[in-house]
Amino acid sequence: MHTILGSRRTVFLLVTPGFLLFACMIFVPITASFYYSLTDWNGTGEYSLTWLENYKALMSDEVFWKALINSLLLGIGLVFLQHPIAILMAMIVTYTGRWEKFMRVVIFIPAIISTFVTSKLWVSVFNTQFGMLNNALTMAGLESWRQDWLGDSTLAILCIIFVCMWQGFGYAFLLYYAGVKGVPNDLYEAAYLDGASKFQVNFHVVLPLLTPVLRINLVLAVISAFKQMETVYLMTGGGPANSTEFLSTYLYSKAFREALYGYGNAISILLVVICLIITVFMNRVIRRDVGEF
Amino acid sequence: MDGKVILQKTSPQPSRSRFSLGRLLLTVFLLVIVIADLFPLIWLIDFSLLKSGDFFGSDILIWPDPPMWKNYKDAFINAHIPLLFFNSVFVCLISILVIIACSILLGYAFTRMEWRGRKTFFSLFMVGMIIPIYSTLLPNFIIFNKFGIIDTYWALILPYIAFSIPLSMFIMTGFMETLPRAVEEAAVIDGLNVWGIIFRIILPMLKPAIATVTVIAFLNCWNEFIMAVTYIDSDTFRTLPFAVVYFMGQYSSNYGAQFAVLSIIALPTVIIYLLFTDQITEGITSGAVKG
Repeated sequence: MHTILGSRRTVFLLVTPGFLLFACMIFVPITASFYYSLTDWNGTGEYSLTWLENYKALMSDEVFWKALINSLLLGIGLVFLQHPIAILMAMIVTYTGRWEKFMRVVIFIPAIISTFVTSKLWVSVFNTQFGMLNNALTMAGLESWRQDWLGDSTLAILCIIFVCMWQGFGYAFLLYYAGVKGVPNDLYEAAYLDGASKFQVNFHVVLPLLTPVLRINLVLAVISAFKQMETVYLMTGGGPANSTEFLSTYLYSKAFREALYGYGNAISILLVVICLIITVFMNRVIRRDVGEF
Repeated sequence: MDGKVILQKTSPQPSRSRFSLGRLLLTVFLLVIVIADLFPLIWLIDFSLLKSGDFFGSDILIWPDPPMWKNYKDAFINAHIPLLFFNSVFVCLISILVIIACSILLGYAFTRMEWRGRKTFFSLFMVGMIIPIYSTLLPNFIIFNKFGIIDTYWALILPYIAFSIPLSMFIMTGFMETLPRAVEEAAVIDGLNVWGIIFRIILPMLKPAIATVTVIAFLNCWNEFIMAVTYIDSDTFRTLPFAVVYFMGQYSSNYGAQFAVLSIIALPTVIIYLLFTDQITEGITSGAVKG
């Protein structure tokens, strides 16, 4: 058994295809990206090494900071709005009896439909002339509340955050739901025998047991806020006036609209670095919190 | 934790049928959630059956009278739906086959084989889950250009495989760890080598994990949009999301057909989801619950 499972040749053959594909599509481009980020390449012809010039320029680029703030806002929205609601829903849904499966299926539906479709839908909802939101406001007699939802820089970012929360809600819900279902039945029974109310059971027994799930989910949520691209790209493309720019949409417009390959690659590299730092940092911080339990 | 067991477990307490204000409020709250999740879908299908002129009415939902099935016909003819549909299916199919093959081999190497560097390689794949996909957009564009695979099926298939491998491998590894090793040990005594064990013994037992990986990889590949628009330039290789772009340019006033195209993109995923709800749930939760 050991000689067979220790065979280096076999290991090599098992791991190589997957790892090669993975490395060539992820690690190689990121290395290449780092190299190009040190140049002033504009997509065609000659280019020269300018070392850290792109990064220096980025540090004083207002749009870059705006993009970071937008990611942070989205992250805050996910952590303090989406996830608490998701946890609450996960707890409530277990009490819905024969509707439980139906609820589970329905809540996840937005997450499986292509972002392309849902973004187009929400753009129509927010449309100034025939959008559903403005129509509903008129019907409710709130004519004066009608807005150019995606045309106003403050409203546009709020709309984007809302749509991102809506689209990702199913994922958050599902993870907590699995966590809630993983709580052993005897714990519920013991708590009820001791005279605890449903509210007490859920907040003093179930919630603490969810901390491991919570830990991973919060890290994932914050990273996903920084990774965000499709919804923004399709709804506003970063506009109006860069007010809804995220790192990835900014990198896209710099690279593919303005052909600033060096600059675009510098944004790519910072995006990777930021995601890695957040993961390490959040894992540290959250782990310490749980230790005090 | 095994997702299936979790999902089939009964609810903590049988719900009482007694009427109360709290119960009513809860029902209303749940109804709001259900509507918020389902409404866009209903709206999408409703509007895909409207005449373009009806779009500017003030009603939220407009009963299609008569339903304009012609929108779907327009979409099929003007937006080259059959070709785009074929391209999407083809790209997904090839990607999924390679993803399954790679993740089974990796899963076996990580759960059964004994080798140095196992942990290092495993963490490398985990890092791949953190790295944002779109940070590779520009460098891969440059690299694909150099190697001449830009604007071919490969420009989509290769990154789709690469970005699905970490999660798929994770699901496979988790599942293989639960499989008993006794059968494999007996097989080795009977003279089977590793490949024999993988294909004759492990593979038949892996069916549930393969189903999960397939469905999740399908959703990811089918719904991917940014790469499909960035790496593909010629009509021959375009995938489904591009169909709407056709309508935004040439037939910008044909809203009905635009919505018909959106429905055509969304429908396959909804059907697959309804058929394989449990597999999807399992795949998504298995990743995070194990951490």
